[in-house]
Amino acid sequence: MKLFLPTQLFLMAITKKLSVKSVVQLSLVAIAIVGIAVANAAKEESKTSAPTAKEKAHDDDEHEEKAAALSDAQLKTAAIELAKVGPASIHETLAFYGTVEANGEKVQRVGARFVGTVRSVNKKLGDSVREGEILATVESNESLKTYSITSALTGVVAERNINVGEQTNDKTAFVIVDLSTVWIDVAVFPRDAGKVHVGQAVRIGNPANDITAAGEIVAIAALGTSGNQSLSARVLLNNTERQWTPGLFVNADLMMAKKSVALAIRNEALQDHEGKPVVFVKEKEGFEPRAVKLGRTDGEFTEVLAGVKAGETYASKNSFIIKAELGKDGAEHE
Amino acid sequence: MIDALLKFSIARRWLVLFLVLVVAAIGLWNYQRLPIDAVPDITNVQVQINTEAPGYSPLEVEQRITYLVEVAIAGLPNVEETRSLSRYALSQVTVVFKDGTDIYFARNLINERLQQAKSQMPQGIEPGMGPVATGLGEIFHYAVHADNKARQSNGQAYDATALRTLQDWVIRPQLRLVPGVTEINTIGGYEKQFHITPNPAKLLAYGVTFEHVVEALKKNNVSVGAGYIEKNGEQYLIRAPGQVSDIPSIEQIILAHRGKLPVTIRDVAEVSFGKQLRTGAATRDGEETVLGTAVMLLGGNSRTVSEAVSAKLVEINKTLPQGVTAEPVYDRTILVNKTIATVQKNLLEGAILVVVVLLAMLGNVRAALLTSMVIPLSMLMLMTGMVHAKVSANLMSLGALDFGLIVDGAVIIVENCIMRLAGRQHHLNRTLNLDERFQVVFSATREVFTPSLISVLVVILVNLPILALTGVEGKMFTPMATTVIMALIAALILSLTFVPAAVALLLTGHIEEKDSIVVRKAKQGYTRVLEIALRLRLPILGSAIVFIFISGFIATRMGTEFIPNLDEGDIAVQSIRIPGTSLTQSLDMEFQVGRVLMQLPEIKTVFARVGTSEVASDPQGPNISDGYVMLKDKEDWPDPHKSKAQLLEDIEQKLALAPGNAYEISQPIQLRFNELISGVRSDLGIKIYGDDLEQLLASGNQIAAVLNGIQGADGVKVEQVDGLPILSVEAIRPALLRYGLNMTDVQETLSIATGGEDAGQIFDGDKRFDIVVRLPEKLRNDLTALARLPIPLDEGGYVPLGEVAKLNIAPGANQISRENGKRRLVVSANVKDRDLGGFVTEVQQKIEQQVKLPPGYWVHYGGTFEQLQSASKRLTLLVPMTLLAIFALLMMTFGSAKDAALVFSGVPLALTGGVISLWICGIPLSITAGVGFITLSGVAVLTGVMMVSAFRDGLLQGQSIDTAISEGAMMRLRPILMVALVAALGFLPMALNTGTGAEVQRPLATVVIGGIISSTLLTLLVLPGLYRMAYRAPQRT
Repeated sequence: MKLFLPTQLFLMAITKKLSVKSVVQLSLVAIAIVGIAVANAAKEESKTSAPTAKEKAHDDDEHEEKAAALSDAQLKTAAIELAKVGPASIHETLAFYGTVEANGEKVQRVGARFVGTVRSVNKKLGDSVREGEILATVESNESLKTYSITSALTGVVAERNINVGEQTNDKTAFVIVDLSTVWIDVAVFPRDAGKVHVGQAVRIGNPANDITAAGEIVAIAALGTSGNQSLSARVLLNNTERQWTPGLFVNADLMMAKKSVALAIRNEALQDHEGKPVVFVKEKEGFEPRAVKLGRTDGEFTEVLAGVKAGETYASKNSFIIKAELGKDGAEHE
Repeated sequence: MIDALLKFSIARRWLVLFLVLVVAAIGLWNYQRLPIDAVPDITNVQVQINTEAPGYSPLEVEQRITYLVEVAIAGLPNVEETRSLSRYALSQVTVVFKDGTDIYFARNLINERLQQAKSQMPQGIEPGMGPVATGLGEIFHYAVHADNKARQSNGQAYDATALRTLQDWVIRPQLRLVPGVTEINTIGGYEKQFHITPNPAKLLAYGVTFEHVVEALKKNNVSVGAGYIEKNGEQYLIRAPGQVSDIPSIEQIILAHRGKLPVTIRDVAEVSFGKQLRTGAATRDGEETVLGTAVMLLGGNSRTVSEAVSAKLVEINKTLPQGVTAEPVYDRTILVNKTIATVQKNLLEGAILVVVVLLAMLGNVRAALLTSMVIPLSMLMLMTGMVHAKVSANLMSLGALDFGLIVDGAVIIVENCIMRLAGRQHHLNRTLNLDERFQVVFSATREVFTPSLISVLVVILVNLPILALTGVEGKMFTPMATTVIMALIAALILSLTFVPAAVALLLTGHIEEKDSIVVRKAKQGYTRVLEIALRLRLPILGSAIVFIFISGFIATRMGTEFIPNLDEGDIAVQSIRIPGTSLTQSLDMEFQVGRVLMQLPEIKTVFARVGTSEVASDPQGPNISDGYVMLKDKEDWPDPHKSKAQLLEDIEQKLALAPGNAYEISQPIQLRFNELISGVRSDLGIKIYGDDLEQLLASGNQIAAVLNGIQGADGVKVEQVDGLPILSVEAIRPALLRYGLNMTDVQETLSIATGGEDAGQIFDGDKRFDIVVRLPEKLRNDLTALARLPIPLDEGGYVPLGEVAKLNIAPGANQISRENGKRRLVVSANVKDRDLGGFVTEVQQKIEQQVKLPPGYWVHYGGTFEQLQSASKRLTLLVPMTLLAIFALLMMTFGSAKDAALVFSGVPLALTGGVISLWICGIPLSITAGVGFITLSGVAVLTGVMMVSAFRDGLLQGQSIDTAISEGAMMRLRPILMVALVAALGFLPMALNTGTGAEVQRPLATVVIGGIISSTLLTLLVLPGLYRMAYRAPQRT
């Protein structure tokens, strides 16, 4: 196609040399035809430039309002679900690990009052005892009288260190533990220390068998543990069923205040848009990303402090697709 | 020399015929070896170095792998460019070599260098090279599918994991052995893995850690050979098997001793079959599937290979479990067959038309048949030539062939022989004897051989600018030019050897001297017209010039298309989502795309690859999916006459129903080419090189702002490099101090917990499955659970991860692109309504003035404008040179500038018809059309030379100029008409065909047909007048 120009020139050179007159005669005709063609082309030009103007207008639109207009059919294909902003009660929880300890107030170490020889032992390790029950009898070395050692607690024999015929000396003869309640020592790390206070409800779970129980914080240790820089928060737990054996590791979910909030949205509605958390609220023109200020949250709902009004409809499930729809113009390969 | 050859051919005619037979046989043999494909391969010589690094983020991949690979391969010979891509878990370095470099040589060099780099890489990271294949390599896709009733041996339904296992261990190993297949690439499903998922609370309870679990697995899953012992003359081999084979045996592995009791894996973890962390998935018709792709070895014959794969797959299907099938979803054979069928049909119909024309015009069956024999013979010679020139047979390379053009030389010779033989017979009034016949054939051939030689030389000369094209255009069109040249040379050789030999042999006996009816009528008409044309020569010449002006003007107003678009029949829909879209989400969205598309009754099946497949030949993020839309045969459509454009519109409408995706619609092969070539595809690409990603982005935005302020800039885009949400777990150093922890204590626990750690393999026959330790899925995806992840302390106890590290979610680098060893960012722009050169100059000036880059940063201007500039530079040099060369050639022939100029004048006259016919048919100018113009100029020169030499001969014989012109014109009417008719009719089927691939050939055929009409008219009517004017002077003296 680039052949044209040189060949034309060349041809003209020949023809000019051959017959100057003919060229002059015909140039008039040529000019007329060229004129018509130019007019024609101009018409075409105006045709092609029209869509460009339209395109530009379209571009501008997109910059002004960045709502994603989705038809019902599109919502259906994309399985986007809608929900309304409204009140909800939010249970915020904090998760920790703890260990089951015997209730320190319900542990009794029983010794022999007077050193002597053990004459009889009534309870084995693991036997349950009632308050006042005789555990063993001892013959005093001094008075040679036999006297009884009794339990001051109703509980279980956790330790037995004497046998018949032994000298009691100063050692602890029995440890009696009342396991109807246990302590859970929850290790609270400095980051969360401020959020924990006495009286908070705690859900204790055994990771091995999924048994859970409710208790509450009764004390927070005054001294921290230097080894792992933690504070111990103590939970008192009812253990009449004997499900919690001291020494076990457990999960402890601290219930923060259960709170009813006026404005809440479902968690799956939250998306990150240009670095801010947003909710896609349905407006006339489509879904609009609305930056929101968030409050408390739990596994299902999140409190909204600002950004949406009660009763507004927002996209909950599959809200990501709206984010994708808004951002798709910038998406490209690589 | 030519005389000697001619004499030899006529004298040793039997030998010549025998040799021709041998050449034909060689051609047949080569035809079997000729690679056949639908389109030419436009891939450059490149080697991909892929390194998988599971768990590595883009930054780490770049730092620890990509950089090392780049350093290692720096300084290799023949390298054109290196570019790299670092994204999640994958580093890909692409080394592009100069065209013509031997790929195996290149791979060898790279392999050598990679060995050095390997030692510096993190343990377990192995760089490897991509398959030896080109963009045409993906010739066959199949989907592994199980129907609902199919059950595994354990009674469960086939899920994605089970199907993947079948693909990996039954189908793939067999297909890999098919000759010509270099790789079977898999995407979709899950590799079966054994997952050990420790519960963090239980780990704490028993005082063991993730590392302990991994250690324990490694220590309890080994088999060793322990040499042999000899006993009583016998040799006993010793082995100590110790590999675990199933879930119970894993569960019983001991972790620790606590209070004299063993703690086993079962006590702290759950052991189950789990899903790998995959980087890609596949869908079919809106459901998850496992997709296999057969990749053809470079230089293979795609039809043979995909047929072999297809046959093998049928065999494999018989051995698959009941209800499970591996179904072909894309088979290149179909497209190749369709395309070849189109080409064959065009060529065959063209050939038949040519034979008919020859019969009608020559009125001699023997002569017509012998002339048409040139067609298959030159084709067979061409096959040999193509095999040796490594040109594959495809739409482009065979597309420009016109049998009319091929036989032109032979036509002239045979025609002249007949005329002279008949004349001689008439003169002697008897049939000729052998010697006389040979003598006549020799002189007749000699007489017209020059024009046909010149026409071939002219076509070769005009093809030279095409051969000078480089890059994609070069790869696309060079084969076209090469085959045309080879076919013409073959035909030329034949017309010098075979034709005279055969004429001498066959045209015995009495030869009809009368013209056939067609020619007679034509001559009668021409006599009158010529008279008028000679009388009105000035006005006719004038209108011819006006005509040239008009068509020249039309040409400048016509749309242009650099490379024609081959319709592959199938459609590719690439869906692109915002960066950071998870694989699961992306897969969900691709399901939606599949479902809406399947609502169209014209669509047979839709399948897609989401993310990167196992062999990362196309490393795309999980946010991108390549969808293939396979259409039903047109007969099965509700409306078989629906146009492709209409269907595309429907598809776009349906696609709009699935929101959140940006779509790019193309075609399967085209898509693959784009992925592989992958340079900057806009008019102008400004590459900014530097170190800091943020600085690059800031400068990029600055440059984009400058670009937007320049008139003509359109679609200015800054490459998306960020936007991938990254959760960074940044250890707090003072906290580490307090707890006496090392950085790696935290990192290792985290990487095992979320990324998982390989802890050996389980063998099952040939199959091997990974054992992976990681957090239970529920906890892995829970950010608060992650913050609680206990980090064990040396002196017992633990500290939660959240206490010693900050968990930040922030958008980070999505991928890091590098080029020639440096990070780079591209700002691209197209140019609208403005000349590219001026635009680029202005951009360069403004950027230099307004954008201050920090030290160590620089810009480079690239893009298609570079190629266009270099191409036009080359062409502006080559085109005039070619024209000069043609002119010189004509000068040499005639020894007269005037005659040469006269013949030359036919070229623009011929081109006008081509332009006008394109304009009428509404076809844009393209390179294929350009090839048409080349063909045309050859024909125009041929007819011109014949005409002018006839005039000259007349003048030399002492005739007056008027007699010389009218007699010469009458004498040449028949051959000119024949040449024109065979060339035009040979292309007619191409212009009218609508089959697959016809759209590439149509512009060419349209140009030739239109051009030949004008060229013939002008040769017959204008040239005599022009000659008359040119030689007015000598007549007067």
